[in-house]
Parts: sequence; structure tokens; C-alpha cells
Amino acid sequence: MAVYRNLSIRQKQVVWAWGFLALPIVFYCVIRFYPTLNAIILSFQSWNLLGPREWVGFDNYVKLWHDPVFWKAFRNTFVYLILGTPISLVLSFLIAYQLDKTRLLHGTLRALYFLPFLTSTVAMAWVWRWFYQPVPIGLFNNFLASMGFAQVDFLNSTTNALPSILLPAIWAGLGFQIIIFMAGLRAIPTSYYEAARIDGVSSWTIMSEITLPLLKPTIVFLVVFSSIGFLRIFDQVFNMTTNNPGGPLDSTKPLVLMIYQTAFSSFDMGYAAAQTVVLFGILLVVSLVQLRVLKEKP
Amino acid sequence: MATVSLRNLTKAYGKTRVLHGLNLEIGDGEFVVFVGPSGCGKSTTLRMIAGLEEVSGGEISIGGQVVNHLEPKDRDIAMVFQNYAIYPHMTVRKNIGFGLRRAKMPKADKEKRIEEVGAMLSMTEYLDRKPAQLSGGQRQRVAIGRAMVRDPAVFLFDEPLSNLDAQLRSQMRLEIKKLHQRVNTTIIFVTHDQVEAMTMADRIVIMKDGHIQQVGTPAEVFHKPANIFVAQFIGAPSMNLLEGRAKGQGVEVAGRKIARATGVAEGAAVTVGIRPDDLLVTEEAGSFEGRITVLEPLGSETLAYVDIGGQEVVARADGRNPPALGAVVQLSVAPENLHLFGADGKAIR
Repeated sequence: MAVYRNLSIRQKQVVWAWGFLALPIVFYCVIRFYPTLNAIILSFQSWNLLGPREWVGFDNYVKLWHDPVFWKAFRNTFVYLILGTPISLVLSFLIAYQLDKTRLLHGTLRALYFLPFLTSTVAMAWVWRWFYQPVPIGLFNNFLASMGFAQVDFLNSTTNALPSILLPAIWAGLGFQIIIFMAGLRAIPTSYYEAARIDGVSSWTIMSEITLPLLKPTIVFLVVFSSIGFLRIFDQVFNMTTNNPGGPLDSTKPLVLMIYQTAFSSFDMGYAAAQTVVLFGILLVVSLVQLRVLKEKP
Repeated sequence: MATVSLRNLTKAYGKTRVLHGLNLEIGDGEFVVFVGPSGCGKSTTLRMIAGLEEVSGGEISIGGQVVNHLEPKDRDIAMVFQNYAIYPHMTVRKNIGFGLRRAKMPKADKEKRIEEVGAMLSMTEYLDRKPAQLSGGQRQRVAIGRAMVRDPAVFLFDEPLSNLDAQLRSQMRLEIKKLHQRVNTTIIFVTHDQVEAMTMADRIVIMKDGHIQQVGTPAEVFHKPANIFVAQFIGAPSMNLLEGRAKGQGVEVAGRKIARATGVAEGAAVTVGIRPDDLLVTEEAGSFEGRITVLEPLGSETLAYVDIGGQEVVARADGRNPPALGAVVQLSVAPENLHLFGADGKAIR
């Protein structure tokens, strides 16, 4: 105790700060950093979960390079990203922009948009899966048929399946993005808009030269956040294609699902770890590039 | 340049009426200051003139044209906001030029106009900076520049100096006044600071609870306040108010009789107002006698808080030879400097 009492105020603060930080640091080391390092090591080994781990050098990476399924999954993952992020951002911005101006039932509407975000992905995926079924079960096809149109193979077609899975994924994340956009919009002082009204500039100019530039920090956050979300897409795909995960013909399979199958269906842990390391690299590069591109000082 | 007139102007939010029929004529090139405590309706009035708030009743005309249903952009006005409303992501040049977006003139002319305004506000060397790199006073100038660049008929200022520190505020006050003398455009300026109103205005409009209390030149509202509210609001320190009664050909206050005809019924309650500047601490017998409770030395003079028969008044004493704390002193006031108010608060002339 005497030792503590003789410390300066600054030193006491440091002692307390590290005291409080200790728990999260331990947590991070055990739950985050150790498995990450272990996965990187494992990617240079061969292991079936039960037997001994054997060093195999770059074999796993070489195998990955020559694996057509990996390249298919790689391509799919980027399709989810390249379609999902811009569509969800544009949609959520438009909704937030209009909702911000709406006074009537404002709270109710906002709650309705936010609701999917609170719902379990599994439940949602299964409901959408039901929507997509052929006549006489599926909602969409029943509707099309009653209007006299031909049925659409939503989940059974190699071209339609991926967009059909992407749609509910976008819809599920919309509520969160709308809330964030609305917070960003609220933070812009109303006098900026009043000044623009007095200057008489068009609403397009107000949008493109005042609203969007001032929303840049919000947009940067959402682009990065949503990109990471789409790059890690798994549960929607897995639950909507359970009888043939990632199918038909791997046309919907993202990297995470491939990793899951390699690890827990084929028990090829080393190969799965190599895929994980590649995904980690992709996430890191995409996030850093986005931050660099979008965060340039105005 | 244009005249502005308000006729029976009212404003209500639902059932709450905030402006109760304002009538005011503002002359071409006049500098009018709206002043009053917060919530008196001065900013609302300004925003209605700007077109940012709907008119609930009555009429606003600018340059002889009724503008009640015109968009802000069609009213030929420019406004400077309390928080400046300059865009943080644009340079000073772009901010000033923003007001010219809609103007149909060649790009080169616009550039020239921006340069001119920049020079007029001595901001030429800052034209390519962002607002974050400017001081508070410079940002204020950018906001004024953006209003000036369009050369509007009327300038509206909504408490533009309240975010500045005291020194900068008095400096900007002077600059705005000089600017007005140079461009000679009609200016309507809203503030809660009576010093700003007194120093800048051609005419002051004093408002309270959605009513105009008095309209007049700074000298008029200071020397001939229409009622107790105006008397107390204008001038610092505030006017002393003493409760008295009409008696004979004068008023009896704190047991002393003060000479000045009131014209009200014998025995009626009369409030006597005396500006601290007019109430002097003297050696010889004065109008009142009391004990000094607090002294505030201000250098050239000393303010003495004197207790006279249970009422505290502020009086002026010499700065070099101030009276002692706790001393019993005489206070004198010239009869022509007395302000008398009736029971309804209105001035008795």
C-alpha cells in the first residue's frame, strides 16, 4: 500500500487505467489474437482435427490456387460485395433522406425499417426461401402465375440464385444503415439548408454540394461496415440452400461457406485455415483501400 | 435597396400566438435593430421577413411588393445566421460564390465580384482557405461576404455577433456599421444585446412577448422610454425604479417629496425611474439620503449601491474621491431627469 501511496497522481492514473484495461486485453489475446495466429500457422499444416498436425509448407496455398471451387467462391464473394454495398447504401440513403422529412408516423416507419435488423437471420432466410418456392407454395411464383406470367426459378437457377439470396441480405441490413444515415442527416445544421434556400440554389445542388459532402464520415463508416458484412456473408446462403449448401453448382457459394465446408464436412483443417488467411487478407486490403480512398481530407 | 413594411403581422404555432399584430415601416437604406429578451419574437419576425417561416396573418412587403407567398430566393434578401452557416467543406471563395450560383452572369464576372467582396472585407488573402483555418471573426466576415455578393435589397442579420468574444464583437459591430455606411442597403438586425442595438441602429425596435414596446432612435428610447420595460431594458446599469405616490404638485418617494407635476390623481401609485448616471452622490442636501452598501469602482467613476428607506438604488460617485463604504450620503437628481410611470407601466409625460 505504501508503494501505491508514494506514486504521483499520473502514475496512479496509469495503474488504474491498466487495471481496467487488463480484462479486455486478456480477452483479446485469448479470443482474437491467439486463434488468428494459430490459424496462420495451421494454414501451413495438414490436420484432420484428431490426428497430429504435420507441416506441409505452402501445399495448402498451391492447392487453393488450382482449386476451381475456390475461384468460383472468390468471384461470388465479390459479386455479393460489389452489388450489395452500393445497392444497400443508395437505398438506405434514399429512405433515410425521405424519412427525415416525414413527420407523419415517423417513429412507426423507422421501427418498421429497423425490425428486420432485429430478426434472426435464420428465420428470415427460411421465410424468404418459402417466398421463392414454385407454385403452389411460393408467394412470388403464385403471384406471377395469377397474373399470367411464367414461373421464375429463383433458388434453382445458377443465374438467379445469387441475386435471390442477396436481396433479403440487403433488406435485413437496411434498417441499421437507415438509422446511421438519419443520425448523420440530423447532425447537419438546418441553417445550412436555410442559407441555401435564401441563395435559391436547386435541390440537386443542395444534395450534391451540401448534404452528401457533409455526410462523408457517415458514408465512409457505412461503406466499410457493409463491405465487411457482405464479404463475410454466410448464414443467408447456408440457410436458403441447405439441401445443397452454396448451390446450385456452387453458384451462390461465398468464401466463408467454402471454409466451413472444408473444415467441418471434409475435416481438412489446414486447407480451411489457408482459405481463412486469404479471406482475412482480402478483408484487410478492401477495408484499407476504402478508408484510403474515401477518407481523403476534404 | 428597398423599404420593408409589416402590417398587422401575426404568427401562431398551433394555438400559441407568438406575434400579436406588428406594424412597422422601415425606410430605404435604414439600419433597424430588433432587440428584446429571448422569446420576444424578434428572430421569428426576421425569419418571416426572410421567408423561412410562414406568415400566419397580416402582410409583409419588400420594396412595395407583398411577399407573403414568395420563396426566400425571390424576395431579394440575404441573411447572415447566428452560427454563420458557412459550409465547412468549401473554401472561402466557394462559400462566397455560393450566393451567385443562381445569378445569370458570366463566370469571369462572378469571379470578379467575389474578389471585390473579398477585398471589401479584407479577406483577399484568405479566399482559398477552408473555414476551419479561419478565426471566429473571419468566419463571420465570410458569412457577411456571402450575403453581400448578391447585392440584395435587404440584409437580414440574426444575432450574428453572439458567438464572438467581447473584444471581437465590438470590432465587428463597428465593421458592420461602416459597411452599412458604404453600401447603404436596408439592414434589419436582430440582437438581445441592448449595447449592440444602441451603437448600431438608426432606429431601435424593442420587443417583448410578441408586442412592439417602442420604436425610436437610440436617443429617443434612452431618454424617453415609453414604458417601464423599455426603461429597464435599455441602458446599463439598469434604471433605478422607486415606488411612490402622487402628492400635491409632485411625487412622494421614501418619505421625501420630489418636485415634478404628474397630472395623475392625488394618492395614485407612481413609479419613479432614475438612471444611475443621473443620480449623483453629493455633499450638500439632495433628494434622498441613504447608506452605501456596495461600491463598484470603474475607474472614471464609481457606482455606489445605496439603501434608501429599504429600496436599493445605484448612484454615480466620483472615481477619484469615492465615498466610503457604509457612509450615509446624499443623492441628488435634476427634476428633468426623472422618469415617471403610471400604475399601468406607461410613461407619464
